[in-house]
Amino acid sequence: MNRTISISALCLSLITAGAQAAPQPMASGEAMAQQCAPCHGTNGQALTEAMPPLAGMDADTFERAMLAYRDGSRDAVIMDRVARGFTDEEIHAMAIWFEQQPFKPWQDTTLEEAYDASNAADKAMGGQQ
Amino acid sequence: MSRLEQQTFDRKITRRDLIKVFGASAVAATGIFGASNKAFAQSAAHVVILGGGVGGSTFAKYLRFADPDVKITIIEQYPEYITCLRSNDVLVGMHTLDELTFNLDTIRSKYNVNVIIDKVVGADFDKKTVRTQKGETVSYDKLVVSPGIDFVYDNIEGFNEQVADTTHPHAYKAGPQTLKLKQQLENLPQGGTAIVAPPQNPFRCPPGPYERISFFAEYLKKHNPTGKVIVLDPKDRFTKDIPFKKAWERLYGYRSDNSLIEWISGSDGGQVTRLDPKTNQVQAMVEDFQADLINIIPNQRAGKLAQMLDLADESGWCPINRHTFESMRHDEVYVLGDSTIADAMPKSGYAANSQAKVCAKAVADTLKGESPGRAIYSNVCYSLAGQNYGVSIAAIYEVRDGLIQPKGDSAGVSEITDKPAQPILEAVYQKNWHREFVKDVFS
Ligand SMILES: Cc1cc2nc3c(=O)[nH]c(=O)nc-3n(C[C@H](O)[C@H](O)[C@H](O)COP(=O)(O)OP(=O)(O)OC[C@H]3O[C@@H](n4cnc5c(N)ncnc54)[C@H](O)[C@@H]3O)c2cc1C
Repeated sequence: MNRTISISALCLSLITAGAQAAPQPMASGEAMAQQCAPCHGTNGQALTEAMPPLAGMDADTFERAMLAYRDGSRDAVIMDRVARGFTDEEIHAMAIWFEQQPFKPWQDTTLEEAYDASNAADKAMGGQQ
Repeated sequence: MSRLEQQTFDRKITRRDLIKVFGASAVAATGIFGASNKAFAQSAAHVVILGGGVGGSTFAKYLRFADPDVKITIIEQYPEYITCLRSNDVLVGMHTLDELTFNLDTIRSKYNVNVIIDKVVGADFDKKTVRTQKGETVSYDKLVVSPGIDFVYDNIEGFNEQVADTTHPHAYKAGPQTLKLKQQLENLPQGGTAIVAPPQNPFRCPPGPYERISFFAEYLKKHNPTGKVIVLDPKDRFTKDIPFKKAWERLYGYRSDNSLIEWISGSDGGQVTRLDPKTNQVQAMVEDFQADLINIIPNQRAGKLAQMLDLADESGWCPINRHTFESMRHDEVYVLGDSTIADAMPKSGYAANSQAKVCAKAVADTLKGESPGRAIYSNVCYSLAGQNYGVSIAAIYEVRDGLIQPKGDSAGVSEITDKPAQPILEAVYQKNWHREFVKDVFS
């Protein structure tokens, strides 16, 4: 997600606006990560629950956990079902996104901090989001 | 320049340039904006949300994530929102209605959203305005409607809104009816009979009636062990029926001679056709029943507001573009949550929250002249079959072949296992889910 619209990006969007853009191969890391919020807190920032916080989790840990849930090698209540909904690339994009989120409760986080974390995640993905 | 100012600055250039290229009329005009709009950039578009429940409130928050300076207004008829989520718990004293009551204060303050408490009574899609009961006219560039559901009584003779409000609460909208039903359960005579009649598909919260049936059974087991719950169902199957029935077997003697629950399916004549509120009798397809408590949950359709605004089709529900949740019937209007036709997604709070996030990003992208990203949705419904026994259904969704369908191999219900930890953990997660969910929606 890129919130700062540059003139060149604008020109590009004007050129493509008319044509039917080809659908991206997958949803953005952010769009997928936001789907986890009802259990893991907004931006993964629920720190006091049975379900672990995802914010600030090392990307490698996140990926290994998801892959193990998906192939059934890790015991699960519900995460096996959830993990089976995602491809390797999608899991990777979520992992990168969550790694950049601040490890603190959402209620103590400002919008500015959230925008910064989101931009940092864009950068970490090489601006591919 | 701070980041926010920088973005505002960039956005102004964007809009000016758009005007240069396309002419002012092609750029969404900013309408009359009633209340405190000083904080908003003059040129920003105005997104107006009708209904500040699960879908509407989530949408406002996540639109702010996607766009720091768009103007956002919610018009909600009530100053407080009581969640239906966990309202079954209130029936058996696990929660109070107070604990389920939320408001839009944090949405207003943290996310810079203008909140108008007023009832929407009409809209003019050509002029792009909505009208409220107190006589305000509010203009929008994009309109988002998340009005929940409306009840339909006409398939059951003798049952209507007035009967539900007085003697036979459906309690399928949390509030005074919830407390009335709680009292009726407590007043059930020893050895008495309670009837619960779930609705026909589709309806809000598909596991809701069955969680309620479970709670009734658990309550009877403790306080009224010779009592009984009879379920008169118009359907032959229901969501999570396999794990629910397993739990009923384990906890309430289901399928045994002294089961606390008797479930009569549609094929066995479970469809209720008539209620006599005075004598407490119901007529089902093949048999009449006399009971001490009768809880009929009516059939449903899209919220009254969606009907009034011509957003619903002949099915009673609102057709939407699966990628964005834009209405198929009116331009620049989006519909969320229970009111929509969302294919495999159930009418749940989780689903409304999920759709709101995708829609918020799509609206923000569209306002910037970008095409929306690929949609991804999810749903997890945890229900309690007893206070310490949870069952769940989960799926991730994508748009495939023009429909919202489960993605990968994600769709599934709780496995039946002999591991005692599984249902206990599901109950723990269920409570975890509820606490975090309402925060994701309202704060
Ligand atoms: C017993 C029960 C248990 C449930 N449990 C769960 C659960 O565990 N998990 C889950 O995910 N879901 C659950 N649900 C379902 C959940 O409550 C709904 O799916 C969810 O609320 C849908 O969100 P919505 O935005 O579509 O509608 P709502 O949340 O109902 O919001 C609609 C809003 O619009 C407002 N409105 C309507 N008309 C107007 C108007 N003319 N002007 C202004 N405002 C208006 C209403 O006042 C309301 O605030 C449960 C439901 C019930 C009944």
